[in-house]
Amino acid sequence: MTVHDMKHAASDSARLEAVGGRLSRVDGPAKITGAAHYAFEQQLEGLAHAVLVGATIAAGKVTAIDARAAETAPGVLAVLTPDTIMELKGASDWFGNPPALSTYCPLAREITFSGQHVAAVVAETFEQAVAAAALVKVWYDETPAIVDLSDGKAGDGIPIDAMTKEWGDAQAAFAAAPVRICAAYNTPREFQAAMEPHGLIARWEGDELTVWEPSQWLDGMARTYAEWFDIPFRNVRLVSPYIGGGFGSKALALAHSAVTAAAAKMLGRPVKLVLNRPQNFTSYGGRAATRQTVAIGADKTGRIQSIVHRGVNETAVDGMWVEPLGSVTSIMYATPNFSSKQNVVRVNTVVPGAKRAPGENPSAFGIECAIDELAHELGLDPLEMRLINYAEQDPHAKKAWSTRQLREAFAAGAEAFGWAKRSPQPRSMREGRQLIGWGVAAGTYPVRRAHGEAVVKLLADGSVEVESSSIDMGQGTYTILAQTAAETLGVPVSQVWVKLGDSHFARAGVTGGSRLAGVMTGAVYKAAGQALNELIGLALSDPLSPFHGLQANTLVVRNGRIASPRGDGPELAIAELMSMLGRERIEAKGDTVPPSFTPEQRYNNYTTIAMALPHTEGDYSRYSWCAHFVEVRVDEDFGTVRVSRVVSALDSGRLYNPKLAESQWKGGIIMGIGQALLEEGIVDRRHGRIVNSNFADYMLPTNADIPDIQTISVGIPDPHSSALGGKGVGELGIVGVAPAIANAVFHATGKRVRDLPITLEKLI
Amino acid sequence: MTSQIIIDPPEDGHFRNGVATKGLTPSPTTLSLRLTINGRDHALEIEPRVTLLDALRERLHLTGTKKGCDHGQCGACTVHVDGERVLACLTLAAQVEGRTITTIEGLADEDGTLHAVQAAFLEQDAFQCGYCTPGQIMSAVACIREGHAGSDEEIREYMAGNLCRCGAYPNIVAAVRQAAQELRS
Amino acid sequence: MRDFSYLRADNIEAARNAAALPGAMLLAGGTTLIDLAKCGVVEPATVIDISHIEGLNAIDVTADRALIGALAKMSHVADHAEVKSLFPAVSEALWQAASAQLRNMATIGGNLMQRTRCPYFRDPANFPACNKREPGSGCSAIGGVTRGHAVLGVSEACIATYPEDLAVALVAFDAEVDLGERRLTVEDFFLAPGATAEQEHDIRPGEVITAIEIPGSAAARRSTYIKVRDRQSYEFAAASAAVGLELEGDGRTIRDIRVALGGVATKPWRARAVEDALKGKALDEATIREASELAMQGAVDHGANHYKIALAPRVIARAILKLGETA
Repeated sequence: MTVHDMKHAASDSARLEAVGGRLSRVDGPAKITGAAHYAFEQQLEGLAHAVLVGATIAAGKVTAIDARAAETAPGVLAVLTPDTIMELKGASDWFGNPPALSTYCPLAREITFSGQHVAAVVAETFEQAVAAAALVKVWYDETPAIVDLSDGKAGDGIPIDAMTKEWGDAQAAFAAAPVRICAAYNTPREFQAAMEPHGLIARWEGDELTVWEPSQWLDGMARTYAEWFDIPFRNVRLVSPYIGGGFGSKALALAHSAVTAAAAKMLGRPVKLVLNRPQNFTSYGGRAATRQTVAIGADKTGRIQSIVHRGVNETAVDGMWVEPLGSVTSIMYATPNFSSKQNVVRVNTVVPGAKRAPGENPSAFGIECAIDELAHELGLDPLEMRLINYAEQDPHAKKAWSTRQLREAFAAGAEAFGWAKRSPQPRSMREGRQLIGWGVAAGTYPVRRAHGEAVVKLLADGSVEVESSSIDMGQGTYTILAQTAAETLGVPVSQVWVKLGDSHFARAGVTGGSRLAGVMTGAVYKAAGQALNELIGLALSDPLSPFHGLQANTLVVRNGRIASPRGDGPELAIAELMSMLGRERIEAKGDTVPPSFTPEQRYNNYTTIAMALPHTEGDYSRYSWCAHFVEVRVDEDFGTVRVSRVVSALDSGRLYNPKLAESQWKGGIIMGIGQALLEEGIVDRRHGRIVNSNFADYMLPTNADIPDIQTISVGIPDPHSSALGGKGVGELGIVGVAPAIANAVFHATGKRVRDLPITLEKLI
Repeated sequence: MTSQIIIDPPEDGHFRNGVATKGLTPSPTTLSLRLTINGRDHALEIEPRVTLLDALRERLHLTGTKKGCDHGQCGACTVHVDGERVLACLTLAAQVEGRTITTIEGLADEDGTLHAVQAAFLEQDAFQCGYCTPGQIMSAVACIREGHAGSDEEIREYMAGNLCRCGAYPNIVAAVRQAAQELRS
Repeated sequence: MRDFSYLRADNIEAARNAAALPGAMLLAGGTTLIDLAKCGVVEPATVIDISHIEGLNAIDVTADRALIGALAKMSHVADHAEVKSLFPAVSEALWQAASAQLRNMATIGGNLMQRTRCPYFRDPANFPACNKREPGSGCSAIGGVTRGHAVLGVSEACIATYPEDLAVALVAFDAEVDLGERRLTVEDFFLAPGATAEQEHDIRPGEVITAIEIPGSAAARRSTYIKVRDRQSYEFAAASAAVGLELEGDGRTIRDIRVALGGVATKPWRARAVEDALKGKALDEATIREASELAMQGAVDHGANHYKIALAPRVIARAILKLGETA
């Protein structure tokens, strides 16, 4: 079957194509044939290659740079240092707050973390740039670094008052509770580790800048470039047709981006820079290391009386990242008394960033392990424990859930897993020397909403184009927007072409927080509806139309053909009608932005995250929910843990394409398996440097580590969460996986490991 | 292939490549290579240190073969050399002159008919972002050809050299299983 | 990567001549050389490509011995029917190493030359001190992150672990390496660091590995390789054991036993104390576990790698017990 044929074969089934159908990825053929060109794979004349030089100390000053050997090396065009790179303007942050400093130098004189960029070499070829970069000599004045949260110099950190959540008298109620547990849970520095490294090609034509860069947020990054180089926003074009994984890491223009664009401007040539794999561990932040203590007091029936939670996450010396550790703690269970507070601690690291479900992920590790510990203390089944304390409304916002199918998730997951056959005692299930453990944990993620827009064009040949500067990094945006446009317009998916990843298309906000599908299906639904209305209006009103004068209020379009609803009168293809009308195109821009928005508010809506809608806005609290059931096998001699079975039941509301949603859920679960068992950025405490900054030593799960995973959708359409009834998908799957595994390991071994990852030496 | 500056003493003709320039120490040079890729010959003028991966991506514009780690730790650059799966990032371009190289761009038939593995990847949704996918597919084709796709457990082990951060592994196993059955029948 | 000259050697004599040149390094599979050149750990002036030499990749196995050409690929040896039946530990060590792609590239000779995975050794830009790279410069690993480092055969100069699998099976079965003029046991071919951490192999300028030979034995026929690691696949060993077993006619008394360890020592580590303690003894779990502990005599840990001292004897015991069950 050819690529072309497959597209049409798939289109044979309207059931597959409708919103909610299991259509295969429309961008799939390009990806499986190597035809998909990712951002920095564009071929440009005169392309020069840049390579960065990173600091070898974690704290101090650059005192001198000797670039002479590099400058005279074969093929070298320029060596950029803090003294020679062009000065940039400061750029606002992602909330739109203006910069603290009016100028910005992306190469550092003051070193605040190991690996920070101090110089860059640009050469004719990649090989020449790499070789010359190794010849740049840098001298430092080193000062003591704060290496991590446990560093004596780190202190208690800075209280983040906005994270404080309290009701009742949590301390007193905890002290008075007849059953109490209190434990500390730690997660290490973790990395997004997308397979495609960060990188870009920058090209200047006059004062217009084109950047080909993998991006989760074209408009936000374009704004940063525009501000750095003091040019109008529309002078920046960001192109990102495919993204080789982001997981939160590719939403911002970073120092290496600025270096590349500056080098291109200084040299008057397009410049390509791709971070090597170790630089992908130090040029942008992964998930901050976290520590939490969770204290739960309950009565003897297991009903929670109080939760007292304290959290800390690391941030950078010169940047702020808050990983909201009380986010799940405060909503998962009903409790009359609650207290959560959080500090951040500055250490010498690149500023941490967003990694899949920032906040909810480590938060769930704390509370979902703690609830398991409490169940064990009480002699209750951990699933029963969760049902006893089921939150019938949002305990923090005190609002009704928009939809919460968590009880259904527990029931469906337990049934499919066979939870009822669980032997309650730890170490009571085994096969030979393999100890078997079953664990459960719940997860959640808020429904993040925003206003969006899209352009839908009906073309003369009857085909449809959808345009948006949103992106597809594997979630399936191309596919679900094609389904949405096809269903709304009544045309086959094979006639719809979705064009994404170009900041000159209709604007879009960040692809993060699992918001894109809900925002963009809503915008495309609206734009496509407007285009359809315009088509029908013309068909009924234009004297050239065969429908002109027909006694009908409206027309219907099915399978690309337009007719009256009663079936009387003509029926013809959209292309034929367009031809009769003499129209080249019908174009509609649809948006969900309030009409009252000023142009500046619209600009900020797409280029900052400040305009997002609160998930507890109005009468409802909106979240996705899930329950994970996990079986582990622990070798009692070796301490090795292997996950042998996973059943997860998830409530993401209505699924726009279950085939792709299930893939995303499984992906989240698999990343959670890595988090639980393998992943940890290990710091050499003498040097403040990550020593396993590569794929051999920072271990991602391989295919051999992953068992069959069964996912069950228990969601129902949620009209309060999005136009078409969906809730978030991408982040949800990972939340709760690590505690489910830790709980299963406890059930297998009787050992409670509260520090991730659960590596073999912790069990022997 | 010719290299201009060679070592001392090659007078006995032991080295296939190179011209004797007695007394000179070895020094870098540019090689003229002909690589046979996807059934076509490609001429290249490159430094000896250029890897097959960078030759494909930066010189020949065959970007379907991906760079994930550049150190043999991820499998994104998997190609076939003489029908066996290898990593292009740890292979010098010069080393494979005279060999038969197949990349993802050369897997489907000339008329666009997909290889059974490609079709199975699409049907089973065995990828998300698509960046590791060419390597996965090249690895899967070889895995089946080697006879290492006999069970799900064997597929998992013999596909373990291709990391996928999106976590498409269960669907990759399903795709390899399906394609192996189709290719056997 | 520094630029270098590239030469192909068409025959072994050419390879030997070239190998004697200053700054020359041999390229076979490339999985170590190109990797370390990119890290800046090695900077060859000339790369001698020996991968096109014909006739050096033969695998010839009889009941008496396995003769494996230096350029035989790891994957081909792993899948070789007679290697599987007569030397199962060798096949198992090979297929559990690296990945399918790397095993298609890496040769048996090159595998013996695989360097340590010590992160400090591999990162000269950030960690200039490494006695393996620069004799006398010090050891960055001692006092640093040591979870993967060796506990056996270590010195004050170096605690880097020998990472590979095949050679562990080879030393267990008294294999020899053919260097042309000289022939050494694989055990002697590898050097513990002592005060000269930069010397990892007993190989001289101009010498090229042409073959390895593994003597056949009853213990080799009944052998296995168990590899323990955090990840199920595509990872170096936290601890591994190659074990071969021959029983007396009674089916439970140990006539011959071979034990070697990987992942815990600075070289492939033959555990003769375990062998001596078990020869003539009955196959009994308690006896086996007690004897396996003897492998750790002289072990020195550096904190985070302490677990290896507990783990390695359990791997040995598991391997012996597994072989005992397959009587």
